[in-house]
Amino acid sequence: MNPAFLKKVKRNDRIARWVITVGGMAIIFSVIFILILIAEVSLPLFLSPDKDLHASFQLEGRAAEEKILAMGVDEYLETGYRLDQAGRVNFFNIADGSAIDSLQLVSDTGSRRLITAQTYGRLNHMLVWDDGSVTIERVKFFPFFDEADDNQRSIRHELEHRAIFAPPSYGLPVKTMARVNDEGRQVRVDLFRSGIFQITIIEEEESLFGAGERVQESHQLEIDSVGEVTAMTLSTDGIKLYLGTSKGEILRWDLSEIDHPVLEETTQAFLDQREITALNMVFGDVSLIVGDQQGGVSTWFPVRDADVGWKLTQIHQLHGHAHAVQDVQPSPHDKSVLSIAADGINVSHMTSERFLVNIANGAEKIEAFAQSTRGNGIITLSDHGTVQSWKLDIPHPEVSLKTLFGKVWYEGYPEPTWAWQSSAGTDDYEPKLSLTPLIFGTLKGTFYAMLFAVPLAIFGAIYTSQFARPKFKGIIKPAVEVMAAIPTVIIGFLAALWLAPLIERSLGSMFLSLILVPAALMLSIALWQGARKLSPLKQVERGYEFLVIAPVIVLAVAIAAILGPGLEDWLFAGDLKQWLFNETGTRYDPRNCIIIAFAMGFAVIPIIFTISEDSLSNVPPSLKAASLALGASRWQTVWRVILPSASPGIFAGTMIGFGRAVGETMIVLMATGNTAIMDLSIFNGMRPLSANIAVEIPEAPVDGSLYRTLFLSAVILFIMTFIVNTVAEIVRQRLRAKYGRF
Amino acid sequence: MSTTTKNMNKYWRIGEPMVWLSGASLAITLLTAIILLAVIMINGLGVFWPAELQRLELQDGNQVIGRLIKSEPTADGSALRRQYKIANRDLYGLDFRWIDEDQIVSQEVPRNLLVLERIEHGDFYGELKSLNLNGTTRTASLPDLTKALIEVETEIRGLRELEGKLKDASYLMEQLRLKKLKFDYKGVPANDPKQVALSQEKAILDEEFGHLIDIQTRQNARAREDTAMFTDASGREKEIVLADIFQVYAPNSMGLGDKIAFYSAKLLELFVGQPRESNTEGGLFPAIFGTVMLIFVMSLFSFPLGVIAAIYLREYAKEGIVVRIVRIAVNNLAGIPSIVYGIFGLGFFVYGIGHSIDSFFFPERLPTPTFGTGGLLWASLTLALLTVPVVIVSTEEALGAIPREMREGSYALGSTKFQTLVRILLPMASPGIMTGLILAMARAAGEVAPLMITGVVKLAPALPIDGNFPFFHLDRKFMHLGFHIYDIGFQSPNVEAAKPMVFVTTLLLVLIVLLMSSVAIRLRNKMKKRYTFGTF
Repeated sequence: MNPAFLKKVKRNDRIARWVITVGGMAIIFSVIFILILIAEVSLPLFLSPDKDLHASFQLEGRAAEEKILAMGVDEYLETGYRLDQAGRVNFFNIADGSAIDSLQLVSDTGSRRLITAQTYGRLNHMLVWDDGSVTIERVKFFPFFDEADDNQRSIRHELEHRAIFAPPSYGLPVKTMARVNDEGRQVRVDLFRSGIFQITIIEEEESLFGAGERVQESHQLEIDSVGEVTAMTLSTDGIKLYLGTSKGEILRWDLSEIDHPVLEETTQAFLDQREITALNMVFGDVSLIVGDQQGGVSTWFPVRDADVGWKLTQIHQLHGHAHAVQDVQPSPHDKSVLSIAADGINVSHMTSERFLVNIANGAEKIEAFAQSTRGNGIITLSDHGTVQSWKLDIPHPEVSLKTLFGKVWYEGYPEPTWAWQSSAGTDDYEPKLSLTPLIFGTLKGTFYAMLFAVPLAIFGAIYTSQFARPKFKGIIKPAVEVMAAIPTVIIGFLAALWLAPLIERSLGSMFLSLILVPAALMLSIALWQGARKLSPLKQVERGYEFLVIAPVIVLAVAIAAILGPGLEDWLFAGDLKQWLFNETGTRYDPRNCIIIAFAMGFAVIPIIFTISEDSLSNVPPSLKAASLALGASRWQTVWRVILPSASPGIFAGTMIGFGRAVGETMIVLMATGNTAIMDLSIFNGMRPLSANIAVEIPEAPVDGSLYRTLFLSAVILFIMTFIVNTVAEIVRQRLRAKYGRF
Repeated sequence: MSTTTKNMNKYWRIGEPMVWLSGASLAITLLTAIILLAVIMINGLGVFWPAELQRLELQDGNQVIGRLIKSEPTADGSALRRQYKIANRDLYGLDFRWIDEDQIVSQEVPRNLLVLERIEHGDFYGELKSLNLNGTTRTASLPDLTKALIEVETEIRGLRELEGKLKDASYLMEQLRLKKLKFDYKGVPANDPKQVALSQEKAILDEEFGHLIDIQTRQNARAREDTAMFTDASGREKEIVLADIFQVYAPNSMGLGDKIAFYSAKLLELFVGQPRESNTEGGLFPAIFGTVMLIFVMSLFSFPLGVIAAIYLREYAKEGIVVRIVRIAVNNLAGIPSIVYGIFGLGFFVYGIGHSIDSFFFPERLPTPTFGTGGLLWASLTLALLTVPVVIVSTEEALGAIPREMREGSYALGSTKFQTLVRILLPMASPGIMTGLILAMARAAGEVAPLMITGVVKLAPALPIDGNFPFFHLDRKFMHLGFHIYDIGFQSPNVEAAKPMVFVTTLLLVLIVLLMSSVAIRLRNKMKKRYTFGTF
């Protein structure tokens, strides 16, 4: 033979071996790769937060400066500013501390010195001047792209004078709190040394002719509390006022009525009467942050109580300090909480109760701090004049194992629950990302579907493989296999738009047929026993049973359909759904688990059927022959001999069917209400993991918490099916080894 | 104890009733399948049949023209009520109406009632009153209207051509815009000859585009001049622009032959026509085309990959624990929920590879994504992954069924492993491989969940293949029959009016899938028979 040809052939063989091996291995590794990739996307949910000190410098000319009352920083962590007692706002570069700009604030009353300042919302500063007047100033940062300079970004800043409150007539207050909302409604609360407590509200009132008219109301009130008022906070809209006392009491006021401020309640928050040292509102103005003398940080909101109405209740206990809490601040963009004490600043998240980071500057005491509006950075100023700029990397503060799987007490809820409600229209929404109701929904739907499918499929397979005539077997098996190919979108569509209204209309008939069909079957079997004595009939019966029995089933269902409405009239006063609601409190959902049982059951029957039938057919005929020869009846042979031998295969088939039902998406998407409720009732819908992914992923921002949580739910689905399939596959391989191939 | 009871007891004891019950399970399974198919057939086949239009006179003196949909008992079960499709959405608001049977005074089937299929607002049922052609109004009959419609049709065809030209022009303009973006991104100065040429080209195109728009506006206005006046059941007049009428027919005066011809024409339109009225009417062409393209591109990937993996497993890998694990992995791959593939496709193909392609090759277009968003390619790749196990399992089965002697004979003649594979094994296994491929295609045709998140849309502006370079646009979004069902059945504003179209689409999809899988299963069973001598 031509050696060149031989060489070529051999070379081809080597190349082919190489290509095939590499290709084969690659495809096989892709399974693992899929898991790794989706797990990798969801992994950052559980990463611990990171802090990074990216700049630290000594403030220049510190000695010459007045005491610093407030600080602020832009969202890019490039420009910071500090506000001193002389009302000067000094802007500086965060990287090195070099001065950028200096602006002088003045009170409209001419005062030049500040007593105190408080930061709230997005860089709003409430300034109390030494004559008792209050102004609210906002610092605005905006990025600017310079076209002349190759579109370099620089940060511009601007001061906005939002409101001015005149000095009170009682002299200088001890504590002052003031807010202005977007409609110009101004609220000022003062506490004087004399114990007088004054609330001043100014509103723009629309007169009949459209011209705005300013209305001012002042109220002097007695504070009826055991302890002295030590902390005070107002919601950003100036409606909710909370006071904390030295004896651990919290007073809740409602200032929505201009001429009638209402003290809603006085709560003894801490039984040990510890002093409340700091109060503030969590972003969204629903929850109250409480910092106390013993270093505890907790959040509270009013919960409806059957006896006493709305009662302020402690909801979350956050990571505390070793020392008394000096101040608490909300994050301006999520439900995180900052608390400062002698041991530094703690950042925690309210919903997940996760302690995120602690920021401290060694032995130096932090005097002032500011957080960026995106929550990605904090700058601190120590009593030694050191400015530190921290970059925070807290990608998913609201997610923890507890929020994903445990019960969480969400804002506005009467008790801790499992809830899935990923988003709403507003920024200050508290996302509810509990996977428990979704896993519950998946298992619930699967359970009902399997309840319907498993008996039908297994008994059908037994009949087909053992009792049916071979000529039927040749038709039935391929027919069922073809059934398996029917797209689930079609099954789901029919279930939702054809079956659901049908069952809703004839619920009574459906339940009646559940009784009538078995009864009719029993009756017809007994009757047949009488009739089969005639020998021609006896010849016919074997292998044809399913054809004979089909009309009986159809007839029974038809009778149920006719009798159903009458029965409903007679037993349930004409409306079974109403009766169900009145008697058991179950609401009938038109798209419920009955529909799912039928539809998803229909989708998994072919899978269970095919695999079971295969394993039943592959039991060696010798076993069957031996059993029959010993005098066992055909059913006894099947039940005692063949079924035990084939049971691993049947088990495998059931497992694979289970895996299919768990991951089925279109049917549940279309035929359930897709509400994430946890209720075992067959008359409700549910929201399974798979449909949830399909519904939410198109809306989920890439790499956000929701996006990653959805990937996590895909991982859970993957693992569920992986376990089930692997078990099934191992069982099948064992069986294969035992009985040769099938 | 009597003999009868004894016999009866024995009958129960030996479990004969259980045999019957298992027979009943099978009967229920088959009955549900038959019911499912029957429901689809009954609802799907009748959609295009030009059923008669009835004119009803009600007790309150009102007149109704409608097509009987169904009749069922009223809520209290004492009488019957009928559902009519009354169309004329723009006049009545609703397309359907329930009428109690005892409300109907008289019922007739006048021959002159017309059905108008319109571009907008669904069908119109009524009578023709007059035609307004070239500014003159005269009474007319159906043949006049048909004649006028044919004339308008030629004008409309001209408009369509114009529209095509406009589409081409806007495509060119878009290309120019992207080119300019690229130049800008690369920092080519504005006075560079390339940039200058570009802007000149753009100016010419702009002018041409404006010119075309002018012509279109004029022609459109001319085409819309001719109108016809119709009256509805109660005699209310409605003027309809002829150009808005898609088709007109008088079902009550059609013979059986006419009706069959009409039905066939509608079927043809279903296959080649464009969808109208937010997909609830018209044809399915883009959806069918998208499905076929998807299956085609998917097969390009899944077929070679699956076959290679199977060959490796069966012919090259050494049997042992590794191969066992790998088999388990492959079967697992088959069992992973399709939505997990979908989310993988989104995370890996769309956001992973797609974004990388964008930032390497189309950085100038960012943040508008080119490949970094769902599209035909990514959906096909996702489905390819999903269907690879199907191909692997069937190919492996087919290779395993080939008797050992075949291989040994080939080796004995001195051929290498590769030669044996290519000349002996693959040809023998080809029916099995085909089975796998067809099953994979059937799966792809019916799968919706992973497509929903990797690039399928309810209405794609352009097909993935067209006359513009590079002809195949795998980055484009596409339409799919399965998603079409979900979309018009669940997302459409008027579900009742959309139902016929959903059923037609369902019927079509079921037929496609059932045909494919029965062919595949038949092939496989044939092959099994061929080689059974090798197993025992």
